[in-house]
Amino acid sequence: MILLSYATAIIIFCIGLYTIMVRRNLFKTVLGLALMESAVLLIIVSSGYIPGGVPPIAPFSGQAVNPLPHAFTLTAIVIGASDIALALAFIVKLHRHYRTVDLDRIRGLRG
Amino acid sequence: MSIRPFIFRIAALILCVSLGLMLFRGIAALPVPEKVIGPAGHYLARTAGETGARNVVGAILFDYRAFDTLGESTVIFTAVCGIAMLFSRRKFHRSSRGLSFIAKRGIGIMVPFLLMYASVIILFGHLSPGGGFQGGTIFATVTVLLCVVYGSSFESQYFPPRTKDILESGGALLFSGIGLIGLAAGTGFLSNIAAGFPAGTFGSFLSAGSVPILNVAVGMKVGAGLSTIFYSMIKMLDAENDHIEGGRPR
Repeated sequence: MILLSYATAIIIFCIGLYTIMVRRNLFKTVLGLALMESAVLLIIVSSGYIPGGVPPIAPFSGQAVNPLPHAFTLTAIVIGASDIALALAFIVKLHRHYRTVDLDRIRGLRG
Repeated sequence: MSIRPFIFRIAALILCVSLGLMLFRGIAALPVPEKVIGPAGHYLARTAGETGARNVVGAILFDYRAFDTLGESTVIFTAVCGIAMLFSRRKFHRSSRGLSFIAKRGIGIMVPFLLMYASVIILFGHLSPGGGFQGGTIFATVTVLLCVVYGSSFESQYFPPRTKDILESGGALLFSGIGLIGLAAGTGFLSNIAAGFPAGTFGSFLSAGSVPILNVAVGMKVGAGLSTIFYSMIKMLDAENDHIEGGRPR
């Protein structure tokens, strides 16, 4: 069961990596980045799972799952959301400047 | 068309698949833990006594690692500053007119319940799953809904960007102020029960010392920050649409 979760996360990660490597559209690059980030978060959350664990809300009725990955994931989600928003803002500016979001047509760093 | 892009794609595909296989073999070799050890075990065993919060994740975020959370809400602040700076060249007065009458009525009925849901998620963050980040995101969702359904000028009338600025800075100030109380009590920045915050009875609404206050502070910061990000972008896109339709940007 936990292996299925890991496999899902790795497949999503690879789809994101492939998107970043192949696509020349900047929006799709950022989408690939978002996919990779969610895959990493899924791996982190899955790593805290304990077979038969209960949610970490005290008092526990049994062995609780590891709460630390949840806290890390919560912070990482927010950071990811803000950096993706910043990347999209840069792309909107680039589109205003060059009238395209194709990476091949945006050549050089003209002023 | 040459064959080079095709070869590049195949190479990228092979690289991704082999990387995925390698990652999977590495991760599958990890042992599945039977019980929680290390700092996490300490948190699970002692959270109820040391912080008085039921939600262990919330206690980690706002008590044990509150300094981490402060640094990370600064990341949102920086992102908001960057986006507002990028999109602040001109003032745009035009906005979209929103969706149909039926959508407007439906959202109008839903908005109070959404706001109540967000408040409950923030205020009960120390008792149940939830907290400042999640509730703040739901608050931002409400403003996004208003922007899309009623048009951005309506949204900016009801939640002016100035108010969002004040809310965001107020959240940051509240968070640091709570931290400074701990420093003044001589127990360290952002310390909770040790600094004299009342622990309350375990499981009641008024418990867990400074955790609910920090939840509210982070909720203000995240909600105001995310809605400012969305508003800056949608304002820009509205102006672009005007430009394309033939109107001139003001």
